[in-house]
Amino acid sequence: MLKCREVVHQADALLAGELSRRERFVLQMHLIICRHCRRYIRQFEWLLRAIPRMHGSASEAEISSVLKAVENAEKSTFK
Amino acid sequence: MTSELSTLRALQSGDPTAFSELVREHHRALLATASAIVGIDNAEECLQNAWIKAHQALPQFEGKSSLRTWLTRIVINESRMLLRKTRREVPLELDESQHPLADRFREGGHWSKPPATWHDESPDGLLMERELADCLSRVLTAMPAQQRAMLELRDVSGLDFDEICNELAVTASNARVLLHRARTQLFRLVDHYQETGEC
Ligand SMILES: [Zn+2]
Repeated sequence: MLKCREVVHQADALLAGELSRRERFVLQMHLIICRHCRRYIRQFEWLLRAIPRMHGSASEAEISSVLKAVENAEKSTFK
Repeated sequence: MTSELSTLRALQSGDPTAFSELVREHHRALLATASAIVGIDNAEECLQNAWIKAHQALPQFEGKSSLRTWLTRIVINESRMLLRKTRREVPLELDESQHPLADRFREGGHWSKPPATWHDESPDGLLMERELADCLSRVLTAMPAQQRAMLELRDVSGLDFDEICNELAVTASNARVLLHRARTQLFRLVDHYQETGEC
C-alpha cells in the first residue's frame, strides 16, 4: 500500500496532472482511507494558489522610482 | 483573463495609470525572480532595465502569455549576461533526510505529525499574513539558489518546465525535485504558523 510519505512526494505531480491513470488510482485509494493525506493535498493546493501572491504589491516609492527610470530612458531616446 | 485583457488594452493605449498599476502588481515578484537568478545585489539594476524594455515593448505584446510571464521573460533576458557569470552548479541534495517534512513521518512512512487544519477564510492570502512576512522572507533567503529560482519561475511567474530547465540548465526530473522541496518548505512554514500562530 502507498505510504503517506509517498503521497506527499506525488502531490505535485497529482495536482499538475502528471500522474498516470494507475498512479492516480492508487493515490486516490489511499486518500479514501487517510484523512491526514486528504488534508495535506487540500492544503497543499491552497498553498500553490497562494504562492503567486506571496510577494505582495509594490510601494508608492518603488512605483515612482520605476516610473522615473522609464521616463528618463524615454527622454534620452528622443534626444 | 478578461480583466487582464482590458488591462492590456489600457496599457497599449499608453494609459499611465495602467502602467503604474502594472508596476504595483508585479514589481515585487519580478524583483524576487531577479534576485533568485542574479543575486540581490544585481536585482535592482536588472529590474530597472527590464521595466524600461517592457515599457518600450508593450505595444508589440500580443497577449499570448500572461503579463507576469511576459515580464518575467524580459527580466530573464536582462539577467542573462549576469546569470552566465554567476551560475554555479550546486550538487542536488536528494538525501531523503533533508526533505523539509522528513521529521513528520514515522519510519514506516505514515504521518507521525500530520498537517494541522488550516483556517480557510482566504486560502489565496495564506502567505500574505503580516505575522508571516519576516519568516517567509527568511525561508526564501535561506533556500538553496536553484530551489528558489524554480519556485519563483514556475510558481510565481508561471513559466513552463521546459523553458525553466533550459534557463537554469537543470534536468526535468531535477527541476521537479527542486520545486517540490521549495514548496514543502513553504508548506511547513504555513503549517507551523496555522497551528501555533507563531512562525
Ligand atoms: Zn496518508
